[in-house]
Amino acid sequence: MQNNFILQVENITKKFGNLVAVNNVSLNVVQGEIVGLIGPNGAGKTTLFNVISGLFPPERGRVIFKGKDVTRVVPHVICKMGMSRTFQVTRAFASMSVEDAIRVGAYNRHTNKETLEIVNEVIQFCDLGKLRRRKCADLGLAALRRVELARALATEPDLLLLDEAGAGLNPSELGNLMDILKEVNREKGITLFVVEHVMQMVMGLCQRIFVLDAGELIATGAPEEISQNPRVIEAYLGKRAIR
Amino acid sequence: MKNLRIVSLLFLILLVLILPFFFRSNQYGMILLTTILLYGVLATAWNIIGGMAGQLDLAAGAYLGLGAFTTGTLLLRFNLTPWIGIFVGGLVAVLFAILVGLPLFRFKVKEVWYALSSSALVEVLRIAFIMWEKIGGPVERYLPNYGSALYMRFSSYIPYYYIMVILLFASLFVNYWISRSKLGYYLIALGDDEDAAEVLGVNVRSSKLKALVIYAFIVGLTGGVYACIYGFIHPNFFSSPLSTEVAILGIVGGMGITYGPLVGAVLLVSMRELLRANLGGQLESLYLVIYSVVLILIVLFRPRGITTLLQDTFNKLFSRWVRNNHAE
Repeated sequence: MQNNFILQVENITKKFGNLVAVNNVSLNVVQGEIVGLIGPNGAGKTTLFNVISGLFPPERGRVIFKGKDVTRVVPHVICKMGMSRTFQVTRAFASMSVEDAIRVGAYNRHTNKETLEIVNEVIQFCDLGKLRRRKCADLGLAALRRVELARALATEPDLLLLDEAGAGLNPSELGNLMDILKEVNREKGITLFVVEHVMQMVMGLCQRIFVLDAGELIATGAPEEISQNPRVIEAYLGKRAIR
Repeated sequence: MKNLRIVSLLFLILLVLILPFFFRSNQYGMILLTTILLYGVLATAWNIIGGMAGQLDLAAGAYLGLGAFTTGTLLLRFNLTPWIGIFVGGLVAVLFAILVGLPLFRFKVKEVWYALSSSALVEVLRIAFIMWEKIGGPVERYLPNYGSALYMRFSSYIPYYYIMVILLFASLFVNYWISRSKLGYYLIALGDDEDAAEVLGVNVRSSKLKALVIYAFIVGLTGGVYACIYGFIHPNFFSSPLSTEVAILGIVGGMGITYGPLVGAVLLVSMRELLRANLGGQLESLYLVIYSVVLILIVLFRPRGITTLLQDTFNKLFSRWVRNNHAE
């Protein structure tokens, strides 16, 4: 099968007890694009991310990354294959300094000596120079989100999953982040798959958007199409909003 | 600053080496010094699994006992010298650590649950060795060849002291080496957040197992020497109080700091022993009350360890000294 899909999600179903968090979702991500996954609270976006990155095994369906089935592969192996992610609630390594935390990611593909170079490069790229020796526990939210991004970049992924990287940021911080992400995509050729609540970011960043509601995929398309899609408006604002 | 560090390190080594000469005629002093170093070795080894990897391990007594029983039994049954026996003891401890670590880490037993499971391990082994009459049993088994250096059965504490010095520097070196290697970064990362470490390519299970194995080996090795110092083996070597104390020394000393647990051991064990020697006769167990109060105070006011207090004080004095010298 010849295609340029870096990620294929096929009929994924994930349940927690009786709750169906993700119901029979299929989607594809093309090498090199920036795609978004949106949906109201509790739609199952983060759960889907957790399934894709290997943290949760799904009940049904397959995740195919670079043509290989990674459905039940553990996260650190998936990371070696070239996929990393950030978390919605920031999970920086509290007791480590910024540069040490990034170094953990750099060890994914490099030996002791080479990691220093990678760390320096990533720190410059993410504009963390002033903070490099600070403890992660002492940083604010915007800086922590950048550290998480830097850490994931240091693993040198081909596909990066960003789980609400823009949440809680003010407009100027958001602008900075979007600039960095666009550069990540353009210069490093990393495919980005973002879950996002902040519409400004999704609309400004993504070429294609998937919409998830109550665990089901209800729409796919370009940002303009999505913003006018009646089912999407219904999911976000309720039935009466469609007029 | 770097030169200063090397100078103070050399000074420390020298101090440790010549210390016995002040206690030559004082048996009690030598026992005390050896005991302090013994706890120093155990707590330093604990730092790998407890301080860096953040796993609250309470099973030091298990690995210590296994090392002691392996060394002692090899000597009793096969007349194998402890100079070799202690290494076999270390390996037995490692095998046991793998046997325990594989399922614990596979099923993600962590935090308090890991603490409880590891703690139970000590007691299980103690009972098992009391029941296992062929090797253990309720009576002490005395080691032969007292007074023979060939069998590590010295009649003085001074050689044991130097063996502990070697073990101490070895485990400090291992700590230092790990803390600058990939494994060290991985351990601290997974100690902070396992899932976050996993998605960055950290094999959490195997990293934890490596830490546990290295820790078990050092403790098992020490256990062999422990048996020779005491001159007998007994299932009470699988000691829960000792296991807890090793963890306490590590935590109070300063988790994740290479020499933190050693500082904790030196200060706390010497304080405890001196209190016991001076108060034990009149007011039984009062020393434990005082000891506990000190522990509580340290944890309340210096949760990151007593070593950080020393570091801060030292840095303050040093910067003042530099300022004064520049002013002149």
